[in-house]
Amino acid sequence: MKDTKDTGHAEITSQQMPTSSPQSSVPRPFGLLAELTYRCPLPCPYCSNPTQYPPTGAELTTEEWKRTLSQAGDLGVLHVLLSGGEPLLRSDLAELVAAAREAGLYTNLITSALGLTRDRAERLKAAGLDSVQISFQADEASLADSIAGTPSHARKREAAKLVRDLNFPLTFNVVLHRKNLGRLEAIIALAEEVGAERLELANTQFYGWAFKNKEALLPTRVQLEEAERIAAAAKVRLSGKMDVLYILPDYYGDRPKPCMNGWGRRYLTVNPVGDVLPCPTASEIKWLHFDNIRQHSLAWIWAESVAFNRFRGTAWMPQPCRSCDQREIDFGGCRCQAALLTGDAGNTDPACSLSPYRDVLNRIVDGAQQLLEGETPSSHTTDLQYRINPSHSLT
Amino acid sequence: MNDEPHNLPLSSGTRPRLAAKARVQTDKISGKLALLYPEGVLLLNPTGAAIVELCDGQHTFQEMVTTLAARYKSSPNSLSSDVAEYLDRLRERGLLELISEEDSYW
Repeated sequence: MKDTKDTGHAEITSQQMPTSSPQSSVPRPFGLLAELTYRCPLPCPYCSNPTQYPPTGAELTTEEWKRTLSQAGDLGVLHVLLSGGEPLLRSDLAELVAAAREAGLYTNLITSALGLTRDRAERLKAAGLDSVQISFQADEASLADSIAGTPSHARKREAAKLVRDLNFPLTFNVVLHRKNLGRLEAIIALAEEVGAERLELANTQFYGWAFKNKEALLPTRVQLEEAERIAAAAKVRLSGKMDVLYILPDYYGDRPKPCMNGWGRRYLTVNPVGDVLPCPTASEIKWLHFDNIRQHSLAWIWAESVAFNRFRGTAWMPQPCRSCDQREIDFGGCRCQAALLTGDAGNTDPACSLSPYRDVLNRIVDGAQQLLEGETPSSHTTDLQYRINPSHSLT
Repeated sequence: MNDEPHNLPLSSGTRPRLAAKARVQTDKISGKLALLYPEGVLLLNPTGAAIVELCDGQHTFQEMVTTLAARYKSSPNSLSSDVAEYLDRLRERGLLELISEEDSYW
């Protein structure tokens, strides 16, 4: 799971969507992020998975996931992202795809592609999988493998070809940061070469492992200006051939991202042990209790649970959000980012220039502006802390 | 961005078809037609649904307009540019394939 927090459901939020039924103040969800496992063959240092896994509890069983997917369909969910960790590590993945289709969901596999053999891909196709997103780390193996922390680039390229051979729509996703931004042009060329229909150029969002690594991953302003120019040109050049989406780095913005398009408004996440979260990184908010699908229905958790109602709507907002004319547009930004940077999830996201805590973010950004002597952006990865897999008690 | 209908790559014999990555189903909550694709969902209003349901690779653009004009008791001429614009918006999102008259011989 790399950047589903911001990009996975970008268009579900278009204005065609009703915000709620007139009878009820609780909106319906459109998208479910199903984190099937936290296990992953890659230890990417920008992963937004939690740095501390739930201390207890085993992964949801096949039957528990099938029940969850069915409940999601009944609740109005139309889209599921099957993610993780690496969802291919679940041997029941095809069975879960079939269950999701039966529940009326459009099924997207969000994968590193390691483990995507032809046999596996054909079984997923037969089960009704609609779409595949493969993450790449760079344009060529030496840099990509050093970022991924394991040899994987060549296998990803083979898997991308397989995905296209089987006529799956392919999204090529790359998380951008200080180490690979300088390779953007070549990355775009690779996405074209493998026949992706869609390219997500996602600047790192700093949660989980990425937050631990923010000093090593945060790009310079000069790098970003160049990248934006390249991405904009590619978008024009590839129009009608490949859809190019450039996700802005919010540490450099003036206004925060409309995180999840509002807390408990469009999306929900079920993590590998069955906790139901308003967003995949919500466990960064340590004091908030998240109810579990083993104890409650998805419908109850969505509508009634304390966690989903805590930041729903605008009544919880402090100033300057409460009286801001953007409050129904960006929803005060990201609660997890506020928690990580200010210690209080109820504060305005410091990614907003109006936030009283903006200086916290400015200090981090200022510290990133100088390349160290001898540092070319991709010259070394020795300063990265790689992600650690959960213990086997989860498997 | 150009919204001029005469610039659309549509001729009367073109047969629009939903892209392979897109599919439609009825939304359980609203009863509307939902158009699903990798990045998201569009809940279609009744007119949009009527257009999308004819994007089957069988009907030509001209046939679509004629069918819709009959259904909505409107003249094909007045409907044509609205339908073309709607189709162009779907095409811009990569949700529509346009099969030209030539392709359809094969």
